[in-house]
Amino acid sequence: MVAGGLTYFSKARKDKTQEELAAEAARMALFENDINLGKDDIDGTIVSYFSDHFENQLLFGSIIQDYLGFNPKPSVRIEGGGATGGLAIRDGYAHVASGLLDVAMVIGFEKMSEVNTAKGNEFIALASDTDWDFPIGGFYSGYYALMAKRHMEEFGTTEEQMAMVAVKNRNNAQHNRFAQTNPKMNPFAMKDAGPITVDDVLKSPYVATPLKRLDICLMSDGAAVAILASEEVAKKITDTPIWIEGTGAGTDFMRAGDRPRTVGGVPLLPHEKKEWYKKLEYPGVHSFRAGRESARQAYKQANITNPLKQLDVIELHDAYTSSEIQTYEDLGLTQYGKGGKLVEEGVTAIDGDLPVNPSGGLIGAMHAVGATGVMQAVEMFWQLQGVAGKFHGSDKTQVKGAERGLIHSHAGTGTYVTATIMAR
Amino acid sequence: MTEIFSIDPLIIKTPYEIEYKHSYGKTTPFFTSLSKGKFMTTRCERCKVTFLPPRADCPYCLGETKWVEISGKGKIHTFSTLHYSGEKFLKDLPFQLVYVELEGVDTVFLTRLKTKHPEKVKVGMKIKLKVSRDLEWRSSDVWAEPDE
Ligand SMILES: [Zn+2]
Repeated sequence: MVAGGLTYFSKARKDKTQEELAAEAARMALFENDINLGKDDIDGTIVSYFSDHFENQLLFGSIIQDYLGFNPKPSVRIEGGGATGGLAIRDGYAHVASGLLDVAMVIGFEKMSEVNTAKGNEFIALASDTDWDFPIGGFYSGYYALMAKRHMEEFGTTEEQMAMVAVKNRNNAQHNRFAQTNPKMNPFAMKDAGPITVDDVLKSPYVATPLKRLDICLMSDGAAVAILASEEVAKKITDTPIWIEGTGAGTDFMRAGDRPRTVGGVPLLPHEKKEWYKKLEYPGVHSFRAGRESARQAYKQANITNPLKQLDVIELHDAYTSSEIQTYEDLGLTQYGKGGKLVEEGVTAIDGDLPVNPSGGLIGAMHAVGATGVMQAVEMFWQLQGVAGKFHGSDKTQVKGAERGLIHSHAGTGTYVTATIMAR
Repeated sequence: MTEIFSIDPLIIKTPYEIEYKHSYGKTTPFFTSLSKGKFMTTRCERCKVTFLPPRADCPYCLGETKWVEISGKGKIHTFSTLHYSGEKFLKDLPFQLVYVELEGVDTVFLTRLKTKHPEKVKVGMKIKLKVSRDLEWRSSDVWAEPDE
């Protein structure tokens, strides 16, 4: 990866169309990173957006391609629910690694504000099985609440531990000028946002028990752009390229209830022992098998045998505070069942051993679905280059000396998950 | 006539409606058996797995499944009380969602729980499935109630 760009994220960017937001992020990627690369050097694009419903426009990829002036070069649209951005980064990597493109621009965006919030939630719920799950009361927070409740039942995870995730991510976002919950630095932020406490989270109203308003991610308008290049080109155009060392993708049953509950069925990572999980039914609805599978592949390719030690920073898909805790376990940062403890012990805090979501993540910074996984790549790129402070407008978000990180992108209840390892 | 929401930037309102003719395909017997008061679903004899919702084709061996009758009795695997939802279900709030483990079924089934005592609901609580008298031919024609 050789460059990245973001827009300000907002509940509603009424000032710009989707393609204008994409241009804002593309301009930053091309002109504000330290690279010797022009617009004409881009050989093709990967366009990353989730829903055709939000704008009622099919083939939006073509609008983006022409608006940014890349015709007649190749372009492809990638869609995979919440994991759209992570899949797009993987696809950009595949395009470059295969030699199809020497320089690829991955363009992620979403504009979710043109329908009301309840309709937006309904559109998102259409990414659950519409024959069986949606008619019951289709609402993603409800599905994740059921999974969180089972995680609590299975492992003793608490609402306080979940609240700690919300506080960590929201408060990290207070030093990231792009973040939607940062009214001090982002002119398009929610005016009533700002830092929060565990008490604020616990007192916020229940949306779907045990999940409360402040346990749940944002809905955003915005865009993110990453530029990937072949090793040969990268070395020519920048002194500080960031390398993709490994990438993995996993999947699971669309309806979480259909997933197996196999006793002792955890696919082990290199540092794990079979006896840890002898009695655990897996994955059930408490864990994301797709997340585990994506990590297993990425670690294998990147030679990671102890993720907690070998990774310096992570940007992961915190759609819910519960899913951040579940994801710690899928990624093998701790044993299954001990994810809550990890946040409690401060391991994933900005000054902890392995900071998770220094950007603020989906809870603090943004969730403009198609842009989200691309935003994570941009954030990781800046972290590993050591320039996060410059772009964020505050050096408090920079993880000092970070050399290797992981980005993690996740779709509806864990149907598609990607994990990608990036390094200096 | 186009309704205008804002002048600068210009924002207009554009409604959109659509009707689908949606087929349930080979899972149709699940719905038609409900009208006879029966719960039917599918089983792969080769893999020894019973699925609910039914699947005509087994995802493990890609063989064809067979229809079997189930009792509709079981217990709560996990639950949530919803205080917010997508637009379509706002009128129903608050309501409870449950995954239930059913006798003779290997998957867990997502449905609503209807109870006069939502505060007493817990994991492991016994339930039975109920069927609506006015079938809408949707999965919401079925729900769970406490079985005491
Ligand atoms: Zn089978």
